[in-house]
Amino acid sequence: MSMFLAAAETASTPFPHLLTLLVLVPAVGSAVVALISKQRPDVCRQAAFLFSATAGALAVYLLWNFDVADGGFQFVESTTWVRDFGIGWRLGVDGISLFLVVLSGLLFPFVILAITPEHDPKPYYAWLLLLQAGSLGVFVALDLFAFFVFFEIVLVPMYFLIGSWGHGNRTYAAMKFFLFTMFGSALMLVGILALVATAADAIGAGATFDIRELAQADLATNTARLIFCAFALAFAVKVPIFPLHTWLPDAHTEAPTAGSVILAGIMLKLGTYGFVRFGLYLFPEASRWAAPVFLTLGVVGILYGAVVATMQRDLKRLVAYSSVAHLGFIVLGTFAMNSQGVTGGIMQMVNHGLSTGALFLLVGMIYERRHTREIAELNGLQRSAPIMAAVFTVVMLSSIGLPGLNGFVGEFLILNGTFIANRWYAVIAAVGVILAALYLLWAYQRVFHGTPRSVENESFADLRLREGLAVGALLVPIVVLGVYPKPMIERIEPSVAVLLEHIEARTGVAPAEGPTAERSTVEELFGAGHGDDASHGANAGKVDK
Amino acid sequence: MSLLASLAAQAAQPVTPVTSVLVETPSVDWWGLLPLILLAAPAMVLLHASSLLRRVFRGFYATASVGIAGTAAAFAIVQWFRVTDLDGGRGPYTTVASAYTVDGYSVFITVVLCVAVIVSSLVADGYLRREGLDGAETYALLLLSASGGVVMASANDLIVLFLGLEVLSIPVYVLAASHLRRSASQEAGFKYFILGAFASAFFLYGIALVYGATGSTNLGTIRQTLQDDPFVDGGALLLAGAAFLLVGFGFKVAAVPFHAWTPDVYQGAPSPVVSYMASGVKAAGFAGLVRVFDVTLAGQVRDWQPIVVGLAVLTLLGGSVLAVAQTDVKRMLAYSSISHAGFLLVGVAVASPEGAAAVLFYLAAYGLMIGGTFAVVTAVAGPGEQATGIDAFRGLGRRQPMLALGFTVLLFAQTGVPLTSGFFAKFGVIKAAVDGGWYWLAAVAMLSAVVGAFVYLRLVVAMFMVEDIDPHHGDGDVVAATPAPVAMPAALTLALAATVVATLVVGFLPGLLTDLAGDAVPVVLATLP
Amino acid sequence: MWLNQFLILGALLFCIGVYGVLARRNGVMVLMSIELILNSVNINLVAFGAFNGTPVGQVFALFVIAVAAAEVGVGLAIVLLIYRNRTSIDLDAADLLKG
Repeated sequence: MSMFLAAAETASTPFPHLLTLLVLVPAVGSAVVALISKQRPDVCRQAAFLFSATAGALAVYLLWNFDVADGGFQFVESTTWVRDFGIGWRLGVDGISLFLVVLSGLLFPFVILAITPEHDPKPYYAWLLLLQAGSLGVFVALDLFAFFVFFEIVLVPMYFLIGSWGHGNRTYAAMKFFLFTMFGSALMLVGILALVATAADAIGAGATFDIRELAQADLATNTARLIFCAFALAFAVKVPIFPLHTWLPDAHTEAPTAGSVILAGIMLKLGTYGFVRFGLYLFPEASRWAAPVFLTLGVVGILYGAVVATMQRDLKRLVAYSSVAHLGFIVLGTFAMNSQGVTGGIMQMVNHGLSTGALFLLVGMIYERRHTREIAELNGLQRSAPIMAAVFTVVMLSSIGLPGLNGFVGEFLILNGTFIANRWYAVIAAVGVILAALYLLWAYQRVFHGTPRSVENESFADLRLREGLAVGALLVPIVVLGVYPKPMIERIEPSVAVLLEHIEARTGVAPAEGPTAERSTVEELFGAGHGDDASHGANAGKVDK
Repeated sequence: MSLLASLAAQAAQPVTPVTSVLVETPSVDWWGLLPLILLAAPAMVLLHASSLLRRVFRGFYATASVGIAGTAAAFAIVQWFRVTDLDGGRGPYTTVASAYTVDGYSVFITVVLCVAVIVSSLVADGYLRREGLDGAETYALLLLSASGGVVMASANDLIVLFLGLEVLSIPVYVLAASHLRRSASQEAGFKYFILGAFASAFFLYGIALVYGATGSTNLGTIRQTLQDDPFVDGGALLLAGAAFLLVGFGFKVAAVPFHAWTPDVYQGAPSPVVSYMASGVKAAGFAGLVRVFDVTLAGQVRDWQPIVVGLAVLTLLGGSVLAVAQTDVKRMLAYSSISHAGFLLVGVAVASPEGAAAVLFYLAAYGLMIGGTFAVVTAVAGPGEQATGIDAFRGLGRRQPMLALGFTVLLFAQTGVPLTSGFFAKFGVIKAAVDGGWYWLAAVAMLSAVVGAFVYLRLVVAMFMVEDIDPHHGDGDVVAATPAPVAMPAALTLALAATVVATLVVGFLPGLLTDLAGDAVPVVLATLP
Repeated sequence: MWLNQFLILGALLFCIGVYGVLARRNGVMVLMSIELILNSVNINLVAFGAFNGTPVGQVFALFVIAVAAAEVGVGLAIVLLIYRNRTSIDLDAADLLKG
């Protein structure tokens, strides 16, 4: 407990209410946009971009001033919200949530700039801003109540975005999305309250919703396991983990392009982040107990997602199922519960957001031109749109996990971690990598290669300047992170190490180590510094500033 | 000596003429009774005035009604400070020979009832003019019914409780039947009356049995008697009485299986009256329920708790599941009201101070939500309340976005989406259940909330996600007949705006209301004669 | 006389009243049955009052009589309202609002 608080106290807070501002700016922006007359769509867009970009700038500022060596929570703020219940407005960020915050901060203004809604821009931008506020809130919340509020509140704008601006079967998809997710969170609420109640007895002080204090509570094993299951159900629906994934293909396919990008980029990460922050942190013993189940489900998700994606005729649905597969990897890494696995999982969360977001963006562009997503009707697009084909290639290869691009770094870390923890899962998961290559390359070949067989495919327009800039903006981090991931990893790793120490302290089981305690090729490859700190059981070295 | 013989002997004695006898009347704290008097007396004055005044300005009666209820609420708030300040102030007390209590709990419910009357009056203003039923009767009856509710919430005696129940109910029977041109309204009033009188009779039978078992009708005395001797009279008479009381209360608050009247009455009665029924009558009913079961029969909790838990589960599941099949919006809201009653019953069933505080919060939050909801339904239903199907709401988001947005906020509040008062209301009840160890009950409640979400979402879909407009194929076919724009009288808009704002404010800052609800509860337990 | 005798009488009247409410189709008959139930309660109250030795039972019975009068007045007014529109007080015919 003391190490967290000590870390918080020593972390400099040049900007005392940064996180509150970060969450409030898009929320206020949403209200402001709602008040602008709908006769001025351009003003709506500019205002929305202004507020969203301000939040993005604050997120970048956060990244800039983030203390790399500190594994605890930084920029912590804490005030009472509802006195009688022990609920507080507690925000904080650490290495685990930092890049997700940055992703949320930057992806939204990007989407606002890159994509224009087909109708009703005013409510569209208002909902997007509210969604950004909610997503940022989820990632920085240190209070279980605040977390739950933000976790639930993102359902409303997403529901409207899918239902009002989506395609064909959008009402059904929106309804399914909302009810599925709400079902998961409904039981999580009971779990939250049960945790607070039992922890209050264990700690002895009054009830509190502060997760830092709740993490120190000693719960009975079975109680902790039951409550973990309630939490895990909600996150499993959100991630989604097989077999609770059925809402995802419909939601992704019927959502408008912006909705799909945000859904894939950020919304799915709410679940995986939840597993790390609340599953592993609050219930270490229960996580260890449930790890085999989740490792299995992760592998199943990888294989299932890949196999079903191969069979898809709709390009967007194919990408949606690829999401299921990628998130299976993240779950795998998380429940490997060692430094490589968890770090890889967190990094892959960001990577998936970038690459799958870019994929959805490109599919959206194809749909806008051709008004179809059927692979059978798209062929030979490379002829007339070589630049788009090239961009698609890069993004697709990142999704497959080609070395040199960001996807490889994350996948490698995850597989490394899983292999160390439990060999056979990694072996089977590696097959999933091959399958990913299979369906993506095959889809690419059918869509882009060959001769165009219809007039529309022949006259397919290539990337326009604005679109090119948009996708280019995503390509840059895809390539940079693939070649030089060190800045990212060196900020994630300390917090992961703190988390693993916490788990080790609570369960008495050290995270799985590599075959040797010396530096592995991981460090040599990524140039992480020396730092053979014997007190840390984890393998990845700590980086000195 | 037999009873008859003794009575005969008494009658046979010579009667001494009585010149002057000092009859000891109970002390009456008129300040404590002031809110009650301020509701009932001006209501009767209003009735008289309506027959004497020839010309009144538009909305005079509604204004009068709002003013009366507002004044009563203001005095109640003043009383709140008097009553909850345990050190310097008066503290909770009973008056009129300990038949009537004035404590934080009763003051809280008084304010809730006054707010319910205010919202219903504002909605009724435009409605009555539209339907051609303008007059003082509706408002006077609303005020009188509210005064009965105040009595019911402040009762410290079963007789007084019964009186309050009757004064609460009878005006509402009349109000339900008050739309003279709609036979649905008359039928609703008739059904409500028959079933309501039936339930009141059950209730009364229960009171008689409890009186027989404990020897007194005073709640404080009953509590004391039961604490001294928990197995009084073998227990059977008391339990039977409690069961009958539960039947009576169950009808009033629309618990399954006593709910059969709710959909028909909600559908047939005039919408402003339904607004009052869902907010005010329910509040008074639950106030009485908590006072009798959670406070007075607290010692017998192991006896009645399983039954109330069972009622809660049935009500939760029945309300939300049956709501799914409805196509008429008023019936849908009736079933959703039943499921909300289920949540409230969970708060009653856990029999703890947190549960009671949660019930108070929920009643206040729900009263506002449902008041605003029925304001929208009143407006959309149109003259004669013809348009109460889901189709009436189709495309409303496009035609009147502010109305649709306000309605959406209220619907999401009923679903339990965070940052609305409804979320925190459910949160409070679930927390009380979990703190009491009722994990499975909390899970059932949350699941019923998810099922109920479908019902509300369907309305939101109809309003915003009209499917005949596909953006990719240009503007779709124009909807066959664009419905007439919904008329929004000023008073109704005010009511709707106020309830939406209140819902959001309480959603963001629930502490404002939880502090009040929490402060109201410990005071209840302190009332003893 | 035993207390039980009065209670049994009250219960008997209560059951007859309940049967009347549930089984009767005529609106006025239903109202009469409700009155019967209320009077059965009165019997119980007075019996308990005598048994306990307090006047509370009789006082309460007076209250009940007054309230029952008011209630049945309102009830008959509503029945009259329905009769005016339908020239029938058959309860089963009131089926506009389906359960």
